[in-house]
Amino acid sequence: MGQSPWRLALRRLRRDRIALAFGALFVVLALLALAAPLWADVAGRGPNATNETGTIDVGGEQVDVVSLDGVPIGPQWRGEYFLGADANGRDVMVRLLYGARNSLLIGIAAALLTTLLATLVGLLAGFYGRWVDAVARSALDVIWAFPVVLLGVALGTALALGGLTVGPIDLAAGSIAISIAVIAVVYVPYMARPIRGEVLALRERDFVAAARAQGASATRTMAGELLPNLAPTIVVLAPLMVANAILLEAALSFLGVGVVPPDPSWGNMIDAGVERLVTAPHLAIAPGLMLVLSVLALNVFGDGVRDALDRRGGAAWEAERP
Amino acid sequence: MTRFVAGRLGQMVVVLFAVSVLTFLIFNVIPNGDPASRMAGKSPTETQVEAIRAEWGFDEPLPVQYLRTMEQVLGGQAISYFTQLNVRDEILRGLPRTLALAVGAAILWMAFGIALGLLGALRAGRLSDRLLTFAALAGVSLPVFWLGAILSHFLGYEWGLFPNGGYVPFAEDPLDWAYHLVLPCATLAVLFTGFYSRLVRSNVLDTMGEDFVRTARAKGLSERRVLLAHVLRNSLIPVVTLWGLDFGAVVAGGAILTETVFDIQGVGQYAAESVGQLDVPPVLAVTLFGAFFIVVLNTAVDIAYALLDPRIRVGER
Amino acid sequence: MTVKSSYPTALALALAALLAVGCGSSGSDDDGGGASAGQQGGAITIAQGSQPDALDPALAYTSNSWEPLWLVYTAPLTYKRAEGTEGAELIPGVATDLPEISEDGRTYTFTIRDGLEYSDGTPVKASDFEHAIKRVLNLESGGTYLFEGIEGATEYIEAGDPEGDIAGIEADDATGEVTVRLTAADGSFSNVLATSFAGLVPSSTPFRNMTEDPPPGVGPYAITESVPNRQFVMEKVDGFDIPGIPAGNLDTITTEIVKSPARAAQDVIDGRLDYMQDPPPTDLAAEIREAHADRYKEWPTLSVNYFFLNQSLPPFDDEKVREAVNVGLDSTAIARILGGRLSGSCNIVPDGIPGHSERECPFGDPDGPGDVEAAKKLIEEAGATGEKVTVWANNDATRPEIGQYYTGLLDEIGLDADLKVIDGAIYFDTIGNVKTRAQTGLANWYADFPHPATFLQQVDGTAIQPTANGNYGMVDDPEINEEIAELLTETDLPSVADRWEALDERVIDRSYIAPYGSEELTTFLSDRMDFENCSLVHPLYGNDYSSFCLK
Repeated sequence: MGQSPWRLALRRLRRDRIALAFGALFVVLALLALAAPLWADVAGRGPNATNETGTIDVGGEQVDVVSLDGVPIGPQWRGEYFLGADANGRDVMVRLLYGARNSLLIGIAAALLTTLLATLVGLLAGFYGRWVDAVARSALDVIWAFPVVLLGVALGTALALGGLTVGPIDLAAGSIAISIAVIAVVYVPYMARPIRGEVLALRERDFVAAARAQGASATRTMAGELLPNLAPTIVVLAPLMVANAILLEAALSFLGVGVVPPDPSWGNMIDAGVERLVTAPHLAIAPGLMLVLSVLALNVFGDGVRDALDRRGGAAWEAERP
Repeated sequence: MTRFVAGRLGQMVVVLFAVSVLTFLIFNVIPNGDPASRMAGKSPTETQVEAIRAEWGFDEPLPVQYLRTMEQVLGGQAISYFTQLNVRDEILRGLPRTLALAVGAAILWMAFGIALGLLGALRAGRLSDRLLTFAALAGVSLPVFWLGAILSHFLGYEWGLFPNGGYVPFAEDPLDWAYHLVLPCATLAVLFTGFYSRLVRSNVLDTMGEDFVRTARAKGLSERRVLLAHVLRNSLIPVVTLWGLDFGAVVAGGAILTETVFDIQGVGQYAAESVGQLDVPPVLAVTLFGAFFIVVLNTAVDIAYALLDPRIRVGER
Repeated sequence: MTVKSSYPTALALALAALLAVGCGSSGSDDDGGGASAGQQGGAITIAQGSQPDALDPALAYTSNSWEPLWLVYTAPLTYKRAEGTEGAELIPGVATDLPEISEDGRTYTFTIRDGLEYSDGTPVKASDFEHAIKRVLNLESGGTYLFEGIEGATEYIEAGDPEGDIAGIEADDATGEVTVRLTAADGSFSNVLATSFAGLVPSSTPFRNMTEDPPPGVGPYAITESVPNRQFVMEKVDGFDIPGIPAGNLDTITTEIVKSPARAAQDVIDGRLDYMQDPPPTDLAAEIREAHADRYKEWPTLSVNYFFLNQSLPPFDDEKVREAVNVGLDSTAIARILGGRLSGSCNIVPDGIPGHSERECPFGDPDGPGDVEAAKKLIEEAGATGEKVTVWANNDATRPEIGQYYTGLLDEIGLDADLKVIDGAIYFDTIGNVKTRAQTGLANWYADFPHPATFLQQVDGTAIQPTANGNYGMVDDPEINEEIAELLTETDLPSVADRWEALDERVIDRSYIAPYGSEELTTFLSDRMDFENCSLVHPLYGNDYSSFCLK
């Protein structure tokens, strides 16, 4: 696909108001996450500052942030405790925004890593075929054979205790690098398979054969001929991968193996919040809505991108399978 | 053809072997994961821990440990480090619950997926189609554990319309059994419904453009007849295949979150708990059990496709 | 018991008065006969939050299992079925009398009651006692250490032959007489003879975990069905008759494993369940306290909750840093996390156990806020500002929140703290592995029996071992070690209570641990249960199912 199809796609996308609106929504959420320290200033406390025994002024009266019964205060709709407090007396709004940083950072970083790995594996396997393909396919099959959440939880639990050092890569126990690595690995087959399929199809096409015939090296052929043609597939899949990664991060944190408290993420906030649905429903609802909004924004935007690039059906379905 | 089938089956065994080795390794490279002292219970003495270590062979080389554990797992003799209970019995106790959840959800998502997908295809481009697409995307975007917790709390606890979780065996009270399954099945089905409705929609639209449909129409068949006899039948074949695969994936561990949130105590929840407890035998057993479902179904689909379409045998999918 | 859910009531006079309401006719007035006043018959369904560690007296070592097994496997000795201090009194169980203890405190002699039968009709023999102890030792039970003082016990374990002999136990089936010889005097051995581990089972009971098919025992109830992780059923035993041990009111008690405490609490509120063993979640505590006060009570436990401070690693090798933690600690903050279920304390030996110190707390009122400023200053003086600390916590209900409070506190007083939350099932084993080098974290101890030794073990330097170490803080103070060893040989506890007290105070003065109080546990019954007359809380074994009855 040369220049003009991209331009065509862009024009189509620009006409798709809904997709653009949701794309913008995601950007807004990301900006909010970046602005977390500003809100912490307004609220007067950081995301991890506990305050179990403190009081705040509500309509001229001093009210416990966390009652003697252990019930945290609800939303105040002002700077301090805008969305109320959690069981440790921390400011939920501040945590929500800092949590957004962790959730989005892990989601985006994991998706990028997945994309990188998947493209590499898909390219090599599809291009070289034979034993390279056999090895790559087996590796993908093995990861594929694991139930997604189970593999994530297993890796997360194992790494949470001692971390892992492989050569130059050092995944310290408790760091978000672990979540990023785990999520990235789990999703590789979901993206590598469609890419490999695409390479297989492209390999048989004339322009690749022509490049090879002119003596282009393997690297050149892959980078110069195949990659540009894979780009639309990658672009279509990328937002979906980010959405999936954000969801998986939340699920892992919910099961206690993602972001380690006291650092917030939407997943671990929901995990703590579901224990308090009777007296403090805001604890689970607020991060849940943020999660749904950001994932929905990505999915709607991604859908628009897919329409614009005219990639309905086919490979993309496979990557999106839950 | 025989060679192809044999190859796929061989590959299947290799994958399962790799899965077992990987799982075993994941849990044996962790520092401080000393199952012996864990099994010794509260305030054991050092000699006791040593005795357990020797008895269970935790001091032997990893390959030996792996082989013994696998022998126990495959022979149904594996014992949980933590509860000292037979792992196979535990899985068999959880399986009916997981199956009930998976079957219920699979029926729901297939029925709603087809209905909504067909509706979307027939109204393609109109407002109702766009709304359906949006609803499908929203369904795909809802985290199962959050949705489950919220539904269980509000519909279950606050408004008392449904039970607030748990599971009642069918033999005990079939009505109550079904009643307890409604919310968990619905929650699990939401995500898949979103995905399936869009899949059905796009497949139906594709099929409607095919020659044989045009021919059928030209022959003067009623629109209803064309739709049911030709379009739907042809566009559903890949959907049904996928349905089988997804059902397998759900039984294999896709229901972990749903089971946990609703406290169903099926295989998935057992897996999640065992992982947290670094309890290798159950984790190994459940992972293999799950991987087996996934791999067998995938292989079956591959072989089925190969039988239908000889080209695949050479070109792969 | 170190475990997540365990109990025992505390026995302070004030509290005893408070609890008298709950006592009703049970326990306090009739002579140990307990709650027989209630309506007879009926079946109830109750809930536990997780599968008990074992339904086998040789292996059971958590409150989840001790609470039901206490009624199924009576040991030679047992405790009076009564609340408060009275419940800490030893009475004969399957033995006819309290044991005769020799002059040197090393030989215990008792006689098994004549004509006793197990729930399946098998006659009880004196040699069954030795069999029960063999099972504990051979099955590598957590209770092993309690019986290692018996002559020949170590040799028996090392020989590895289940049918071998324990030299120090002699049993005469003809006369029913049992003699137990110890290698050294042990002042708490009578209490050991009252633990569930010593509960009698027939000599034919195999040497393996019998959870799926619990053996018969001597007691008011028998376990007739056990499906692990689902449920187990206890049925009343006809013809059970041991003076001082009530025969029970209900015919059938079905225990279901309900993993969600919120659901269990909602089901007790609505009457689908009749009792839950775990405390209701904080989320529902306020509602239950308010709307269901007529069937809900909270009671203090014979326990201590504390943060261990690893003396072998910086920064807690510095006494000033440890003191800073104690000074800054605010147990009222933790009380709120627990929904108010905490009685603040600054002792390792809880109120209600001999050896509990009544002095004023050296680091400020345990029921008041901590002094963060003073703590900060101490950290500065120690030059520990900014030092990295990893806090360990398990993932049982409320524990991660307590861990986060503690992490926040350490940050506030000038350290740089991270939190590590791991599964409750592997928690104590992980922090008890010296290689983990756990610096600090959550720990607790529930009394195995009403004796200060069971608590001071936690800081006994001679008990430090590379794995499965219970002295998480690596406390190794020669003076404490020697004093514990010496006091243990004393069979007359009241005569040395003040020396145990001094030990307790020394532990606190040196800030070897940072205690914050005893967690309170609960009794929450359905509407159809007779809460007022039939809910006895035993200080060691918690809610006594044999006292339960329907309205």
